[in-house]
Amino acid sequence: MIRWLAVSAILMTSACAGGERAAPLQDDGGRPIVVARPPERIVSLSPATTELLFALGAGDRLVGRTRFDEDPAAALAIPSVGDGLQPNVEVVLATRPDLVVFYEAVANTPAIERIEQTGTRVVGLRLDGLDDLVRATRLLGSILGARDRSDSLIDDLRVGLDAASQANRAVDSAALLAWTEPPIVIGRASFLSEIAGYAGLDNVFDDVARASATVSIETLAARRPGFLILGRGSAESVRQRPQWHAIDAVREGRIVVVHGTHFSHPSFRAPAAIRELRALVEQVAR
Amino acid sequence: MRWWVLGVVCLLVLVGGVLIGPTAISVGEVWQAIAGRGDHATVGIVRDLRLTRALLAFAVGGSLAVTGAALQALVRNPLADPYLLGLSGGAGLGAVVAVSLGLTGAWALPMTAFVGSLLAIVVVYRLAIVAGQAIDPRVLLLGGVVVGAFAASLMGAFIALSPAAEVRGAMLWLLGGFSGASWTTLAVFALYAVTPLALLFAVGRSLDLLALGEEPARLLGADVERVKRTLYVAASLLTAAAVAVAGIIGFVGLVVPHAIRLTWGHTHRRLLPAAFLVGGCLLVVADALARTAFAPLELPVGVVTAVIGVPVFVTLLRGWQE
Repeated sequence: MIRWLAVSAILMTSACAGGERAAPLQDDGGRPIVVARPPERIVSLSPATTELLFALGAGDRLVGRTRFDEDPAAALAIPSVGDGLQPNVEVVLATRPDLVVFYEAVANTPAIERIEQTGTRVVGLRLDGLDDLVRATRLLGSILGARDRSDSLIDDLRVGLDAASQANRAVDSAALLAWTEPPIVIGRASFLSEIAGYAGLDNVFDDVARASATVSIETLAARRPGFLILGRGSAESVRQRPQWHAIDAVREGRIVVVHGTHFSHPSFRAPAAIRELRALVEQVAR
Repeated sequence: MRWWVLGVVCLLVLVGGVLIGPTAISVGEVWQAIAGRGDHATVGIVRDLRLTRALLAFAVGGSLAVTGAALQALVRNPLADPYLLGLSGGAGLGAVVAVSLGLTGAWALPMTAFVGSLLAIVVVYRLAIVAGQAIDPRVLLLGGVVVGAFAASLMGAFIALSPAAEVRGAMLWLLGGFSGASWTTLAVFALYAVTPLALLFAVGRSLDLLALGEEPARLLGADVERVKRTLYVAASLLTAAAVAVAGIIGFVGLVVPHAIRLTWGHTHRRLLPAAFLVGGCLLVVADALARTAFAPLELPVGVVTAVIGVPVFVTLLRGWQE
């Protein structure tokens, strides 16, 4: 049920925003966006926006990325400017960009202001979930003068999400773990939690509003997740620890490990991530 | 009489540590679960999680408090604590290196942290040995701080240069806690801690002499150099073992010995066992609070030891000044 609501919510956002052409464009930091001539030299400072820019066909206009941007493979050919949070402003400006795409965060405010002062265009995007992806796609599509492309990407995403989640009727539960020593669970405000939802898995730590939180193994055991989904590491390293055997899912071998950036940031590969997670879960299911 | 009271308090605290947890389990169910009856999850929670955590917290807290007391006597500095001798830096560096190398086995972090702290111990020890045999406590103090700072900077470099998430995980582990507690870790720690603890208790009387100063101690018949070496090696190994099973838990080793000195006198033969019991109780209580105060979220146990320890300590200090 929740999944269907989510799909229709994304559908509705796209419908509404499509009709609101007149509203002034703003980025996620409330900065007005002036759609003038499309940028020619873009620096993208987060893995999600780099991948999005490639999807929008602007990969050849990228002149800088962060050291963590590995998708698509073509991104690796673009010079890295280092970190995306608190980036090295001098290195960013040395690429002579006419647009810098930031991850919108308080930590980035000083860098954003310094780059704005040089007269370079700046866009801050908080790209954490699929709703954000739709909004960011539309915004960057406008800036790049590629609205047709962005609209079709959004349509494809909607269809893809629909198809990938349609078969997942049997609802089970899961605990999503970012780390195991100590156990750090992923809360509802995280992309992986959203993917799990589409894959038919309720996050047993839905009450944790933050992206992640440290919990005790006892709490994990008591919530009785049907599956344990690890964002890194191996199932073996969990099974080796006797204290983790208090958790039913560990004792009964229902541990799944997900690898790849399609599980860590929102992208148009989300439907593929949903299908992959569902397949992995069915492999170890009771 | 005092010992009886302390013993009963310890017992109550340990029982409380098993009864209290983020999930509600009744006293009857806990009792059944200890005997092995009840459903799988409850038995697992009570026997493998709560009981092991409480016992490990007690053993680690006691060891840290004893170590702190011994080191304060050794370097004759009230600020001494178990991590003073560069151990935390060495352990941290070991843990961060393990994670950077992608070692993820259950024992990878504790083992490399242990090796890291041993390396730090060896370097500091070599620094502090002057004129052939004698340990100079001032150099020990300085060497420990400097080696710790050096290791911490290397750790900072690793953190700045590695993929962030992994290394942040190592830092979290290092912050300290008992989520790694199991019967295996408990057995390993117990095996490991017995000898250093016995050695520290054995040199208790010499510590009283040492507290007077090295020259008077020598005149009163103590083999000062041997005592200092024994102390140093036993305290270091004990702390390294504590770091390996529980990360770095501040404050217990600093505050507990002072609190006991203020209330129970300075005699080390009494101070050391009392420090063990009180330190153990403090960590069991702190861990129970860390698990339950903001459930389902868990606090770092070091935060709780400071939050409980500081007000108690301040009260004691005030009373002592008056």
